Amino acid sequence: MLCNASVTSRVNGQAATGPRAQAGTEIISYRDALHWTMQDALQRHDSVLILGQGVDDHKGIFGSTTGLSQAFGADRVMDTPLAEEGMTGVAIGAALNGLYPIQTHIRADFSLLAMNQIINLAAKYKYMFGGRFDVPMLIRMIVGRSWGQGAQHSQSLQSLFAHIPGLQIVMPSSSQSILDTYPAVIDRYRGPVISFEHRLMYDLQFYVAPLSTRQETEPFGSRLVRPGEEVTIVATSIMVLEAMRAAEHLALVSDIQCEVIDLHCVSSPDWDLVMQSVEKTGRLVVADTSWREYGVCAEVCRVVAERNPGFLKAPVVTLGMQPAPCPTAKCLEDLFYPDLRQLVDALAVLVTGKQGHGVPLPDTQSMADVYKRFKGPF
Amino acid sequence: MENSQKFCELFFQALRIRLVEERIIELYPSDGIQSPVHLSIGQEAVAVGACRNLKKTDLVFCTYRSHAFYLAKGGSLAEMFAELYGKVTGCARGKAGSMHLAAPEVGVMGASAVVASTIPHAVGAALAAKRLGHDQVVVGVFGDGATEEGVYHESLNFAVLHRLPVVFLCENNGLAVHSSQKSRQGYDILEHARSYGLPVYHIAEGYDFVKVADTMSGIIQHVRLTREPIFVEIRTYRYKEHVGPGEDFRCGYRKTEEWLAWKRQDPLEQYGNLVETFRPGIRKEIDEAVHFAMSSPFPSVEELLRDVV
Ligand SMILES: Cc1ncc(C[n+]2csc(CCOP(=O)(O)OP(=O)(O)O)c2C)c(N)n1
Ligand SMILES: [Mg+2]
Repeated sequence: MLCNASVTSRVNGQAATGPRAQAGTEIISYRDALHWTMQDALQRHDSVLILGQGVDDHKGIFGSTTGLSQAFGADRVMDTPLAEEGMTGVAIGAALNGLYPIQTHIRADFSLLAMNQIINLAAKYKYMFGGRFDVPMLIRMIVGRSWGQGAQHSQSLQSLFAHIPGLQIVMPSSSQSILDTYPAVIDRYRGPVISFEHRLMYDLQFYVAPLSTRQETEPFGSRLVRPGEEVTIVATSIMVLEAMRAAEHLALVSDIQCEVIDLHCVSSPDWDLVMQSVEKTGRLVVADTSWREYGVCAEVCRVVAERNPGFLKAPVVTLGMQPAPCPTAKCLEDLFYPDLRQLVDALAVLVTGKQGHGVPLPDTQSMADVYKRFKGPF
Repeated sequence: MENSQKFCELFFQALRIRLVEERIIELYPSDGIQSPVHLSIGQEAVAVGACRNLKKTDLVFCTYRSHAFYLAKGGSLAEMFAELYGKVTGCARGKAGSMHLAAPEVGVMGASAVVASTIPHAVGAALAAKRLGHDQVVVGVFGDGATEEGVYHESLNFAVLHRLPVVFLCENNGLAVHSSQKSRQGYDILEHARSYGLPVYHIAEGYDFVKVADTMSGIIQHVRLTREPIFVEIRTYRYKEHVGPGEDFRCGYRKTEEWLAWKRQDPLEQYGNLVETFRPGIRKEIDEAVHFAMSSPFPSVEELLRDVV
């Protein structure tokens, strides 16, 4: 099938480089990991249905559904009218009567028109009826960033949804994360899951465990992605990559060792993992893709403050978007999002306790520019 | 007519629903039922006539005003009362109350207190039925007010586009809370629905369960065979206040004469003998259901966080 071929050719065409290349691993882009999981779900489950605006067109949700409508039929990979609330309701009804719908929002912002169905219905259907119904479905939302996406095509709305009991919210930060999460969710989880995919990662190549060896994975919870002693970075989505870059920079230019935790499932993170890390390092930086106010940053602080603020040797530092709608001009947009330099500086100040810490900082570079060319190594 | 078996059966069903709701009115002041109730008194014939033609495996998606459909489709009366009383033996373990009755075992697929929000669920369930090759018919029930919501239109469009086996059943009581249909709608519900390209039906005599049943029989048969959507608007009349057990003709937003005119047509008001024939049996059933509800335990602490995810 054409879809498989595209995975292979991309891998062959653009071999990733980096220190983590090992025997027994494969390289696959975030986009192709998404495509692989979509195809895999359609192949293994007759009940799976993909619905979204443009899922069947030549662009196929940035390449994540390309060719699938042709391969599996337009009744399984279905272009939809421009009706976000209605189509979410249709997905819920389909889930209640035996299908597994996968719905796409090419921009997370558009899901705001479906808030009623997601929050008032999908999230509550199980509880409100005393456990008599399940609503198994996956809603894929893409967070746009850069190239002038502006205020209404770039929002990272995870905390809005994570606030609501009954929803599981995941934020895959790599191809492996997608491969670990989507098949497991589709196979085994019987409730509504929202996934925030980051557009800037679609083109990135990642090392993954071989696709042929399917493993039982835990789709929710959090992952320790880098051990370290001096400071804990709790990050989401693409900020996990930024945290890793910051950690590797600091390891190279100083003796600061950062521990990085990918929060991953922001609706039910592994708080024990976070607390153990904070107990060990005594220092915490939270780096989220969204606004800090009332969001993931605030939530991590709440839990640390409630569980054991005594672990902290210094106040927590949070990084996120500036408290404004996203501007379009690149110079403003670059200020709007936290960059690697700020993250490294924050880490160095926190660990040394000094503003003039003397740790060399990386060049300021727009994240969009970096990730356009970025390959691996994570 | 009133001697025919069909008439008697439908009469019994409609009367049962009315007596259940009248019992709710009686019990309400005792405050054992701590849940807002949207009564269907006056509208029973719609549910009874529609559900007579549905199989157990057919699905109905309802609104907060769903006692009638829940019972007509075969939901347990005892579990309904237990639910109203907030008991763990209720149809939703005491987490739903009056507005979210469900009985999946007989195809009552839930009811929502957000106007129009279950209409797309009916469409989605019909999509699943079609894809999975089930012979189910799915019915989406909603009021006249719901047709003003965007999701109603989105649902109609999608159902017609994909030719799904769903009946859109508009229970038109001419009111949304206290606002008349005229003051809210610049369109005609039926004409507007027709423009989506599906067959539309109108039943003016929403009090006449035989007429409703006969018309719905044709409609449901048609959907079952053709697997295509149909729209039906049934005129009806709400006797009680929008929410709560009382009457509100004193409040001035509608006229007592309308009600009296409707009641003159209402078989449950006209056939006193038949009411008296059936009443004792129904009363006994209700007594037992209420007793079951009152003697059942409340949910325990563990229920609070059960079934969240
Ligand atoms: C989305 C939404 N808006 C407003 C309300 C408040 N509300 C509850 S019932 C109702 C009237 C609905 O009228 P209709 O659809 O005709 O149903 P009826 O109550 O007449 O059966 C309104 C406005 C609500 N529950 N949901
Ligand atoms: Mg109405």
